[in-house]
Amino acid sequence: MTSANMGIPSAEFLASVRDALGRADAPPENAYEPLTDDLATLENRAIEVRERIAGELPELSRRLGETAALRGWNVTRCAGVEETLDYVVSLARRLGATSVPRSEQSVFDDVPVDAALAGVGALCWPAVYDGPDSREGIRRRLADSSMGITGADYAIAETGSVIVLPRRGLSRLVSVVPPVHVAIVRQSDIIGTLDDLFALRRLEYHQNGQSGTADMGSYLNFITGPSRTADIEQTIVVGVHGPREVHMVLLDEE
Amino acid sequence: MAEVVTRQFVPASQAAVKDVQLRQALRRAGSGFDGTRREAIAEVSEEVWEGWREQARKIKEHTIGHLDYYLAMLERNVAAAGGQVHFARDARQANAIVSEIARRNGVKTVTKSKSMVSEELGLNHVLEANGIDVFETDLGEYIIQLAEETPSHLVAPALHKTRGQVAQLFAEQLGVPYSEDIEEMARVARVALRQKFLEADMGVSGANFLVAETGSLVIITNEGNGRLCTSAPRIHVGLAGMEKVIPSLQDLAVFLRLLPRSATGQRISSYVSMVTGPKRAEDEDGPEEFHLIIVDNGRSRLLRDPALRESLYCIRCGACLNVCPIYQRVGGHAYGWVYPGPIGSIVTPGLVGVAEAKDLPNASTLCGACRDACPVQINIPRMLLHLRHQQAESNDENERTSSDTDKLLARGFANVMSSPLLLKLGRTVGRAVSKPLAKSGKIGETRLPLISRWTQARDLPVPAERSFRQRWRDELSKDGR
Amino acid sequence: MSQPPPVRASLFVTCIIDQLYPEVGVSVVRVLRRHGVDVDFPEGQSCCGQPLYNSGFTQEARRLAIRTLDALAGSDYVVVPSGSCGAMMRVFYEDLFADDAENLERAQQLGSRVYEFTEFLAKVLGVADDVTGDDAAGGDATGSEKVTYHPSCHLLREMRVRESPRRLLSGCSGVALVDLPEAEQCCGFGGTFAVKYPHISEEMLADKLATITQSGADTITACDMGCLMHIGGAISRQNLPVSVRHIAQILDGEQA
Ligand code: SF4
Repeated sequence: MTSANMGIPSAEFLASVRDALGRADAPPENAYEPLTDDLATLENRAIEVRERIAGELPELSRRLGETAALRGWNVTRCAGVEETLDYVVSLARRLGATSVPRSEQSVFDDVPVDAALAGVGALCWPAVYDGPDSREGIRRRLADSSMGITGADYAIAETGSVIVLPRRGLSRLVSVVPPVHVAIVRQSDIIGTLDDLFALRRLEYHQNGQSGTADMGSYLNFITGPSRTADIEQTIVVGVHGPREVHMVLLDEE
Repeated sequence: MAEVVTRQFVPASQAAVKDVQLRQALRRAGSGFDGTRREAIAEVSEEVWEGWREQARKIKEHTIGHLDYYLAMLERNVAAAGGQVHFARDARQANAIVSEIARRNGVKTVTKSKSMVSEELGLNHVLEANGIDVFETDLGEYIIQLAEETPSHLVAPALHKTRGQVAQLFAEQLGVPYSEDIEEMARVARVALRQKFLEADMGVSGANFLVAETGSLVIITNEGNGRLCTSAPRIHVGLAGMEKVIPSLQDLAVFLRLLPRSATGQRISSYVSMVTGPKRAEDEDGPEEFHLIIVDNGRSRLLRDPALRESLYCIRCGACLNVCPIYQRVGGHAYGWVYPGPIGSIVTPGLVGVAEAKDLPNASTLCGACRDACPVQINIPRMLLHLRHQQAESNDENERTSSDTDKLLARGFANVMSSPLLLKLGRTVGRAVSKPLAKSGKIGETRLPLISRWTQARDLPVPAERSFRQRWRDELSKDGR
Repeated sequence: MSQPPPVRASLFVTCIIDQLYPEVGVSVVRVLRRHGVDVDFPEGQSCCGQPLYNSGFTQEARRLAIRTLDALAGSDYVVVPSGSCGAMMRVFYEDLFADDAENLERAQQLGSRVYEFTEFLAKVLGVADDVTGDDAAGGDATGSEKVTYHPSCHLLREMRVRESPRRLLSGCSGVALVDLPEAEQCCGFGGTFAVKYPHISEEMLADKLATITQSGADTITACDMGCLMHIGGAISRQNLPVSVRHIAQILDGEQA
């Protein structure tokens, strides 16, 4: 880690900002609403959110599928683990995939994609370093793969987005480097809105802060449809630097 | 800092309005973006949209009003997450910080995702002068980097280029076969940059928002280049104007709703990435170092003037450009610096100095379309007027726009309009002077200074034989009684 | 039963109508009177100060604004046949007098009494209340004058008057209202903008003329003589077969 801050000292910078505002060094006169929330408030809100989501689940799932399709996902609803595996396998077949990286997520305990893909001769592997690969090697393997599979920590009905939090392994690159990304979404991953997401994340953040262990996590990424650009003549092209094809598998409880 | 050629507005805009290709490009983009923006608003309903705008504005108002407080909170929380915040007074300082980070880490290759602040700083040139290879990775930015140009729009930097021009550029610079197929051109960029992403030592990104509560940097992208720049290299440097901070994570929701809809009409962009510090011990990708550089570079000048402060609420969505009849005719480059269009006409004088950018606040009809489009309800026309007043009445000769003649004319006009006698006299003189010039009551083309600027395209009426007030006295006042 | 007392209103005619287009003012008075308004014309008025204000000359603009405040101090309603001057009085006077408490109060007072001409007809007098929406124009257009309407920017976006002019035109016998493509695009006048940046102004004007031609209208109308002087000046220069009239002239039934 490089040492001290460069540029001008923050105290000096902040003083000049205060000077421009003609303000004294003091917190806002009226405390700012969301920031005054204490842990109990955040907990209650999270409970409310969870309860509401539980009550609306079939509807939210339907909306998620609908919105996601509009945002460019190939949405498939699978009635159970078997159907999900069939879908993933057929996709790998179509792509002629021989090497399929996946994130290290609990969803794969329930949905054994490794075994299913092995059955058709494709190697599905968790993108973690503790294998034989070096950092460079594993990146090269990722770059050579034709599809990557992840779960979803959250899937937002309002926006049709899938969110993958950082965890052990190359959780960031699995969903962006291969040209096809498959996200497996369980019912329990579904939430309603952006507000739901931030209510839940804020609780977790402040809870962690309390015990002094963790924080936001280094990364929180929303994925909504394929990579795209309209930078040349406003014509939309998919698959620029990220995947050109994205699949959302909605796994309904059996 | 990036080169400032704002003084050239008049000749540059004169050339631009005659550029047929440019006009076509502007039309396509402007009506395209604005059309989808309107659809997106209609989808959620005008009422909901107005509620969002209201809410977003309140958040900005509060944050900018207590900017020091939230910057301090941000700094604490970035540090708590293992990152470092550096504060830069100006472009020179900011560039020096990035260069120093690069030097200490032996950086050879930098990949960049789109950052208007870095354009403002002229960072690429500084890094290149230090022997570092810099690659813009957003397709639009990549194109203009190859063409050695500057962006012409806040969200679509290469908007001014036709597919033919890009094809030509790629063929010349990259040695690929000439192809006007846009999909093929995107593929060329993908291939050219793929390896760079994986081998770069440092990724540089901008920031759409900074969340004080959690110390997070938020970027909103579509191509996936932003994700790669912030995930693959060893070092991530985020650049942000100091106005980008918002208090709480909860506040982010409304901005994620407003920004993409206002920018391109998208309901949400393909990617929203929130970066909080460097990778943690258990992460196996992500940068080992995270640096956030907070840049003033003239913003405190805008902050200091209560009448201009709201220009710092801007979320750089570009909606005001897409609806601006002036921007739509002259394009971004005519404005002469990084930030074009209505908001640029306020921010640019603020950041580079009023004296450098005297034309910008005046090159507007004050039609108000920008304010109605702005997702944070920034009252751009009011600020343009404020700048005009500052310019007209400035004691600093370099800043003043009004010549002594202008002042005399203004005073003369006010005098005439304040005195019934002078008004009558003025009419008589006006009629006498205009009569010989006029044919059937109108003045056609003439060489008279000032007037000719009107009559080069339009006829000009001469004062009526009897003014309204005369007719009121003669005929109307009695009728009604 | 006694009749309700007539509505009393002062006409602020605007300097451009006073000096260049008095016939428009005459039509305004006639239309108002036809609707039973007791119209007066405070003679102390001249220019609202907008041209100076927009060019940055606040000192001079204030002088004219104060005169205007004085002239209109006693009026119940003030009717202005211009969205631009109306906006100056209702919206910009507040900025102009931001540091002058006494005049600020007078300006706010005036602002609450100022109406643009069509706004006054619709909101205060309830004219054309029964005409609904945009497509009232449908009907049989044969023999009617095809009129298209350009919403001037300050009327639309500062005074927030969008519907009343179209409704009034739709309710006008002998008039067939036709749509103007991209109607809400600025015409490029912008006061001194037109002479400071003629090259941009003329491009905007050319596009406006093209849409007027495209509309197939016989007549272009608006609620502002500034925009109409600019649009009309080019129509006259190019000898286009389109007549240019202020909305008051059309409502007054005066033929082209
Ligand atoms: S001023 Fe408003 S409309 Fe213009 S770019 Fe900024 S946020 Fe968008």
